[in-house]
Amino acid sequence: MSEREKLALLEDMLELDEGELSAEMKLEDVLQFDSMARLSLIVLFEDEFGKKIVGKDIDGFDTIGDILAKMEE
Amino acid sequence: MYNLVNLKDKTILITGASSGIGQAIAELLDKLEARVILVARREDKLREVLDGLNNQSSCYYVADLSKLDGIEELIKGIIAEQGALDGFVHSAGIGSSRPLKTIKPNILQEVMSINFSSFVEICRCISIKKRYAESGCSIVGISSIASCQGNASKTAYSASKAAMDAAVRCMAKELSVKGFRVNTVMPGWIETAIYEQHMQNTKGSADVEAVRARQYLGVGKPVDVATLVAFLLSDAARLITGASLDVTGGGA
Repeated sequence: MSEREKLALLEDMLELDEGELSAEMKLEDVLQFDSMARLSLIVLFEDEFGKKIVGKDIDGFDTIGDILAKMEE
Repeated sequence: MYNLVNLKDKTILITGASSGIGQAIAELLDKLEARVILVARREDKLREVLDGLNNQSSCYYVADLSKLDGIEELIKGIIAEQGALDGFVHSAGIGSSRPLKTIKPNILQEVMSINFSSFVEICRCISIKKRYAESGCSIVGISSIASCQGNASKTAYSASKAAMDAAVRCMAKELSVKGFRVNTVMPGWIETAIYEQHMQNTKGSADVEAVRARQYLGVGKPVDVATLVAFLLSDAARLITGASLDVTGGGA
């Protein structure tokens, strides 16, 4: 899956328009990244990548790029 | 000494007995001298729980209750080996937290299967003559206060628990002629691994904090639920059936 496709998954999850997210963006600057988004991200990892992440993993994400990197692992 | 909650030598089947509330129920019933039959998926955890019990005739069975077709054979086998049941506690379940847009039919089905359908299937299997004690049988399902309170991300979970509550009202009436009592317990926030994980995952959620604050006696411990379960299993609760009782520290 390309970086653009992964970003599209996150944009879809956060109900953002295509191209609104970039790898460099900090999570704290993404207004939609609230507690429901945290749950959505956990589910996205499970459903799309078959990976289990927990709240502590999310606490360790600083940028959108960190999430993309975790998708690669 | 008079013992209000007398479960001595009663045979009680407990699902989800390898951790959390189910484990606490097993340990409390053991202290009350009941013989417990533990059911869960993880044998290593079941072994740990069983090793901590006093009653040497207690035992465990490894089973995945999401496989509904296998439940009848499991229950038949347990009863053939261990004898008729005096009680059954359904603590098996998954604490699904998913935003609505991610609850596709297969997810809903999975949550309903484990939390609700397996409960009804076990009730059905043990309600057949000679599978329950001549003196009757007490069934307790571990529901949740979420069954009557709406919370974000809890659609599937809350619905599955509400289904349990509705089912016990019907089964209680239908099985009363056989000497069954059927109830659910609705815990609020209880210190379990599922609770800790949920708090971590929803960190900073105003919704979650509001629900927690509402439980003004604080977060409970698994034994707080186990105590009510033990009471409902005992003859002291002989006039209580078709009920859903909360253990919520004021949060109901």
